[in-house]
Amino acid sequence: MLNWEKLQQLNFTDANARERAFGLVDKGSFTEFVSPRDKMSSPHLPVLGEAIEFDDGIVTGLGLLGSRPVFVISQEGKFIGGAIGEVGGAKMVKTIKLALQTYERVKKITPASYEKRLPAVIISFETGGVRLHEANAGLLAHAEVMDQIQDARGKIPIIAVIGSKVGCFGGMGFVAAATDIIVMSENGRLGLTGPEVIEQEMGKDEFDAANKALVFRTTGGKHKYIMQDCNFLVEDSVRAFRTQLKEIMNIPFPEIEKYRRIGSLQLVEEQLELVKSAVTIGPKDAQDMWKYYGNDNPQALADISPKEFLATVKRRERVI
Amino acid sequence: MALKELNFEFKAATPKTIKKEWAHLGVVGSGDMEVLLEKRRLNGAVKVKVVTPVTGFEKVWELVLAKVVKDNNLGDVYMEINDNNATPIVASMRLRQALAEASKPEREVEENA
Repeated sequence: MLNWEKLQQLNFTDANARERAFGLVDKGSFTEFVSPRDKMSSPHLPVLGEAIEFDDGIVTGLGLLGSRPVFVISQEGKFIGGAIGEVGGAKMVKTIKLALQTYERVKKITPASYEKRLPAVIISFETGGVRLHEANAGLLAHAEVMDQIQDARGKIPIIAVIGSKVGCFGGMGFVAAATDIIVMSENGRLGLTGPEVIEQEMGKDEFDAANKALVFRTTGGKHKYIMQDCNFLVEDSVRAFRTQLKEIMNIPFPEIEKYRRIGSLQLVEEQLELVKSAVTIGPKDAQDMWKYYGNDNPQALADISPKEFLATVKRRERVI
Repeated sequence: MALKELNFEFKAATPKTIKKEWAHLGVVGSGDMEVLLEKRRLNGAVKVKVVTPVTGFEKVWELVLAKVVKDNNLGDVYMEINDNNATPIVASMRLRQALAEASKPEREVEENA
């Protein structure tokens, strides 16, 4: 693997799960949990004649961001499209559990200054959701991760990082939505039903998955940033994501709740207002919404660099 | 239809083991593979286990692996490969990369100390 300095310069899109896990935390601070050497691969894939991976496509571990212990979960899209099975799911669940146990310990040992050492969880998504080969075990894994995220609420921040090739779709789209903060790059894509599946189910007239420009302006980071579905948009490098995560660590914990998109009656009402506006505004394209929120030349926004984009873009104003 | 397991054993002329206790490289993407190298006392031999969905390429694996062991004078190493249709050239490249990884210092911090 590249050394830490070189990892920082890497495009986030190109970085594999392990490179992201090592590169998103401070230099030399990452320790992997259940590493390839533990050979915890899927028990279900061999009987189906499907290739296995020692880490089951999920890298988990602990690192530091300044004084904060950071529990990292990083998904590998190249292995069965990053789909989550039983082992990978269990690794995700246990990592969040460990973060919560660490929270209890830190609070007990240093009650006066525990906020400086408050653990955080970072999930680097690259997945299409459930690994269908493992059916119920894959589905259950999703539910259990959601459970853990709910348990962590009000205790430690859970941050989603989305900027890898496969994007974040399917059941894991729900999981990402349930986190506290979402950081994306313009190459990151977030949604529930992926473009190919929409095309397959509803036809090419509904959604042309081969039209990359359409796919990115509908599911990509820029659109999610305008719609407030993601909180931060960064450039496509490991360093840029890391810098943003460090800044998030400076947000006082009580304020983290404000970044959430779902999880309270108020937030449900905000989402329902959005559903209503889909009828009243009647957008035919994602960019109609960009225009609606005050961006007069949406196509120009799609073409410019993230830096220029952030300087000029107008976002939906949140009511909360 | 189940996954196949191939086992090999090789012996180089003047075998020497790897620097790290273990090293890992690669992602099991389509047409790719991962390899885990572990230092192990095997009387100078190299043992390899390949897990693959592909049938009929045992001889090719043997030739590729024998060459890597011979060229690098490897010994006392246990190698485990998870393959997903890697071509022989990809396989030998990944093995070389893994050996380079295995010859790095144990931890990055030590490198700078």
